[in-house]
Amino acid sequence: MAEKTVEIKISGKTIQAQTGETIVHALWAAGMAESVKTGCAGGVCGACTVTLRYSDGRTGGTELACMKPVEAGMEIFPCPVAEDTAVEPVANPELSTLQSAFPTLSRCTKCGSCTTACPMSIPVMDSVLRMQKGEFSAVAEDFTTCIHCGLCRFVCEDKVKPHNMGLWVRRSLGMSRNLAIAKTQASAEQEWQYLLVEDGELRLQRAKKFRQSERIEP
Amino acid sequence: MMEWAKESLEKLKASRLARLDQPAPQPDSAQAEAILKQYHPDYLGHERKVAVGPNAGEQEFPLELAQLLEGDSSLEPGYLPKAEIETDVLILGGGGAGATAALTLEGSGLSVHLATKLRLGDSNTVMAEGGIQSALGDDDSPRRHFADALVGGHGDNDPDLLRILCEQGPESIRWLSQLGCLFDQNEDGRFSLRGGGGTSVPRVLACRDYTGLEIMRVLKDAVRLTGTHILEEHVAMELVDDGKGRVTGAILFDRNAGKTVCVSARAVILATGGSGQLRLQGFPTSNHVGATGDGLVLAYRQGCRLIHLDSYQYHPSGACYPEALAGQLVTEAIRSTGAQVVNAEGVHFIDEMAYRDVLAGAIIKETAEGRGVKTPHGKIGIWLDTPMIDLKKGAGTLARQFPGLIHRFERYNIDPAMQPILIYPTLHYQNGGICIDSECRTDVAGLWACGEVTGGLHGKNRLMGNSLLDITVFGRRSAESVLRNIPERGAVTLTHLKRFQAEREKMGGSHKTLSPKFFPDASKMKLKPASVEKKQEEKSSSNNFEPPNPFNF
Repeated sequence: MAEKTVEIKISGKTIQAQTGETIVHALWAAGMAESVKTGCAGGVCGACTVTLRYSDGRTGGTELACMKPVEAGMEIFPCPVAEDTAVEPVANPELSTLQSAFPTLSRCTKCGSCTTACPMSIPVMDSVLRMQKGEFSAVAEDFTTCIHCGLCRFVCEDKVKPHNMGLWVRRSLGMSRNLAIAKTQASAEQEWQYLLVEDGELRLQRAKKFRQSERIEP
Repeated sequence: MMEWAKESLEKLKASRLARLDQPAPQPDSAQAEAILKQYHPDYLGHERKVAVGPNAGEQEFPLELAQLLEGDSSLEPGYLPKAEIETDVLILGGGGAGATAALTLEGSGLSVHLATKLRLGDSNTVMAEGGIQSALGDDDSPRRHFADALVGGHGDNDPDLLRILCEQGPESIRWLSQLGCLFDQNEDGRFSLRGGGGTSVPRVLACRDYTGLEIMRVLKDAVRLTGTHILEEHVAMELVDDGKGRVTGAILFDRNAGKTVCVSARAVILATGGSGQLRLQGFPTSNHVGATGDGLVLAYRQGCRLIHLDSYQYHPSGACYPEALAGQLVTEAIRSTGAQVVNAEGVHFIDEMAYRDVLAGAIIKETAEGRGVKTPHGKIGIWLDTPMIDLKKGAGTLARQFPGLIHRFERYNIDPAMQPILIYPTLHYQNGGICIDSECRTDVAGLWACGEVTGGLHGKNRLMGNSLLDITVFGRRSAESVLRNIPERGAVTLTHLKRFQAEREKMGGSHKTLSPKFFPDASKMKLKPASVEKKQEEKSSSNNFEPPNPFNF
């Protein structure tokens, strides 16, 4: 389990890396941080998309460089994906609205590249098929963990935009929710006066009591 | 799996059923105080006063930050600002607070530029997991929310700011929902509310364990649909002023063009976030790559006072193993849902819902006193007994509520539903920051600030779920204040910087540190002027490389 130095390649250039560290940290240590874009380095911003090849013949593919530990002989190719134009969501969405907002929806040839490319293990292609049937609640659920790295769109030969549609569906459903958010209660101002007492020590004492009982102690 | 910890894992498993219904040991206030003073990193004397600027000789700052606050500008000596972009409002920072401010300014008729060092949305916001607080429960009220946060912050919170935060909670949830954020709901259609450390009633809304991601991707999409001019990979190097004490824009560094850009603005909103990447005392961090405290340095040079910066939040549950995940967040919601903190001997040594600072101190204490578990990489942590969640709440609960946790650990063949994970505190949140008034105005005219870069609101310990609310409430509030108070355009000069530099020289023997830091030390990234880059390219051009097609699925 102890760390071991291995060689990896970034865009054809060989660098040394320590087993156990991620590609991003190996690039940092090698002074090549800017060869792959980074944002959060925690697997949720989608900046550090790369494609990989392995020396032992295993099938390579797409990855987030911040989440993928290095392996001996790994070849890394930066694969930055440009943002796509945003599309305004609408309340109470229907299949026809989605189709006109994203005309390429019907072009999916079910090749499955998008699902293979997704670093979050979202069943992207299945979800595109659900979009075609207007099953929006299921689609929203599918894209709960989407980080919008854009890889599903990037690999699509047919210009389908799964993650953009996923967000559009989620936002559209969110905007359609009917929310009952309560109004302020009558006792409010009196309680604020009590809690906002000038003396800081007394304020803290009152807060300690109030948070337990939710009323003004005599 | 985790063969190296076999002995300790067996002790943990052996004590699990007995622990299940046992109440957690609660430290009394004297014990909590002792834990903080002896073990919390804030209390170990790694601070000092600074010699220059508005807080000179007054309050203490972490050593790493103090060095930067006293530092000199990275601008070329002799740089003369000349406006290259003219805008009404310049927002610095592309996280939740900056994006919220941009959305609030939409439709006002003002031109808005938003500059961000990385890309829009690359921020601590997107990494937030557990949730957002809002007093929506039947037994809840903004006053109760206030009382909880004030007690959690040790009474040091600015009461006026905190009242605004709590009162605006429900309205903020309405605003985010109308933008399309999907917070988890119960079957009856009401929001699902969870407890957090220090909440007296369930108050935390979430979108599974991706709450920040949900909020940020919606804000980002919404901002892209506005007229906001987004300047990505533009680093704020310095603020400029009119020579009469008012901020009038900023000097940015365009990382792609490799050159500076001077922006003249009638108002500047600073939303540059936190500073976990300063890695205080060598701690790991849960923060994004850009969290280097740049905004603190820029505002300080302009004359803005800072507050509570001797106080940082070390999140009790940072991942400790595997090494590749070290420092990354394991959300507090895991603990509030039932996972216990257990030491190497299988002992449930403290209530996992103790305040974050006390719990972090208690974990450090366990490891310091030899009751931690050592990883093959030499790190020491304690267990977070995640399988207890399914024991308490039914099989499948963990996977359903925390898909992010499962996803991150599965590539290491660790299933947190079946085995515990090893944790150690990680540098998580900058409790203090720039002083603001209730309209987000700083001490200097023309400069507003919101979000993590500000201080006062959270006192000296922030409760879970109050930072996502902070960026929403005060992101909007800063923009609303700008709308009411926007000044006319002023000259762009470096008067304040010159004054600061003169003060530095007077202090004698001043160190050569340049600041802000812009990027973490570990990344070795620097601002590269185009002239330098060109030379490097020329050198390497003989070695042109064409990548092969990697898509051999």
